[in-house]
Amino acid sequence: MKHILSRLLMLAVVMFGVTLLTFFYTSLSPVDAAQALAVRRYTRPTDEQITEVRHELGLDRPFASQYINWLGNAVRGDFGDSYNTGKPIIEELSASMRPTFAMALMSLVFTALLSIPLGVLSAARRGGFADKTVYLFGIVCMSVPNYWIGFMLMIVFAVNIPLFSIMGADSLKDLVLPSLAIAIPTAAANIRVFRSSLIEGYNSDFVLYARARGISEARIAGMVNRFALPPLITLLGQSFGFTIAGSAMIEFVFSIPGVGSMLVTALSSRDTVTVNACVLVIAAIFVAVIFLAEVVNTLIDPTRRSKEGAYAEKTAA
Amino acid sequence: MLKKLLHRPQAVVGMLMMLTVLTVMAAAPCFAPNDPNKIDILHKLAAPCEQYPLGTDEMGRCILSRLIFAARVSMSISLPAIGAIAAISVLLATFCAYTGGIADRIFVILSNIFMALPPFLVAMTLVGLFESKAFSIIISIVIAMWVWNAQVVRTYVLREKNKPYIVTCRMSGCSELRIILRHIIPNIFPHLLVLYSTGLSGVIIMISGYAFLGLGLEAGAAEWGAMLVGANKLIFSHPELIAYPGLCILFAAAGFNLFGEALRDICDPGED
Repeated sequence: MKHILSRLLMLAVVMFGVTLLTFFYTSLSPVDAAQALAVRRYTRPTDEQITEVRHELGLDRPFASQYINWLGNAVRGDFGDSYNTGKPIIEELSASMRPTFAMALMSLVFTALLSIPLGVLSAARRGGFADKTVYLFGIVCMSVPNYWIGFMLMIVFAVNIPLFSIMGADSLKDLVLPSLAIAIPTAAANIRVFRSSLIEGYNSDFVLYARARGISEARIAGMVNRFALPPLITLLGQSFGFTIAGSAMIEFVFSIPGVGSMLVTALSSRDTVTVNACVLVIAAIFVAVIFLAEVVNTLIDPTRRSKEGAYAEKTAA
Repeated sequence: MLKKLLHRPQAVVGMLMMLTVLTVMAAAPCFAPNDPNKIDILHKLAAPCEQYPLGTDEMGRCILSRLIFAARVSMSISLPAIGAIAAISVLLATFCAYTGGIADRIFVILSNIFMALPPFLVAMTLVGLFESKAFSIIISIVIAMWVWNAQVVRTYVLREKNKPYIVTCRMSGCSELRIILRHIIPNIFPHLLVLYSTGLSGVIIMISGYAFLGLGLEAGAAEWGAMLVGANKLIFSHPELIAYPGLCILFAAAGFNLFGEALRDICDPGED
């Protein structure tokens, strides 16, 4: 419990740093958002008009005051209006978050379904044919971009064998191919990690001891799995965040109106408020998921709890 | 080390693939049959023929030449990027992990903050930073990726610095700088090579992602990812045009991955 609390404190520090970093990154950009908006509004803006727009957007104020103002609103869930459409960003963001989130969840399931059995298989048949096949498959899948896998899946399962549609995100079925495309390279990297932590588990002293006590292999396998799961869970959490952050490419391939394409549109039209909002929300999800993974790990593996925590529990008992 | 590598078929294949990519990059004009940007509107989407060995794209440009020149674009961005990432992460992480104390404490907090932002997201927001497009891609990748690498280097240094031989060095009067440069860095060097070799393949894939989204590079640049822009339209008629660039990325990235993973097996023999 104490461990989780101290992690929560760190989380707050991290989140604060993230807001600062987000704001800093977008204000680094040499592109003048005021000028971009003025051009859109007046076609050929005069200098006065640009100054006027800049004042209206509050971009003529010092960095610190802009940041505090933005942060104050963002905490209340108000990200302002898009420079591009003039509509509140939060509406567009929550609409585009839905397909992306569903896709990330589905690809998380696929990743787990691919990496756990294949990891167990290659650890059990270490050095054998199955292990080598999985290894080679892993290297190949790690070396291609997921959007290209998306294209290939599309050619096979939507064009040659028309099982799925090639675009849209109307039903869960439409998200199968994009999620699979994301899951394949992610799983390839995860299998490697899971395999080596399983092997580490089988080589450790507690397995030797359990065997000496005559505990059945099936129960030992259970113990080893419990030992080996935490790194995989951390990776799964991380890849969920990566999926949302890198969703733009897959969304382009399958024409899904998600948060990735929203971010790219905002970036290419210099809509800095929208960019800020997207980056902040994605980072918040990322941090939250990683924290969740940590909590799950603490529940699975009690030795992960901090030494002081373990000591406190011992003295209490 | 080199001898061990040469005894592993996987490492040899990886090195050959790396060498091929680097040769193609260096001598792209010698290999390419045509100018990669020459538009031949009369031969749009031509079938493979003598003049265009792999045919042409929707603007009548030679596919094979574009694939070859793309190696140059991709490698000329990814090599400096991984070099800068390596320099920054080794310098910073070694310093913080070795000196320990407050510097290390600050490093951990800062890296936690930087790692809260997924690299692709950071790189995307920063990609329009400078006039020069290639340069701003390099910088954005470095800013996005340094911390992930520095974190790994830090654990290597921490593991190494507590080994008994370091204590022996210190007792025999080695200066701290000498310990770092002559003992710690050489001993973790193979691990670093693994990290940056597999990291390079990640950077190659990341750059192709930018190009695919149309961020960063000039429009119409010959790059593997850029060649897939608008591929949706070709999916029914010319699926092979979608396959080629991906296979090139696969070849380039797999070379570095194969080599890196083979080296990893040599570094940590305990696993098998």
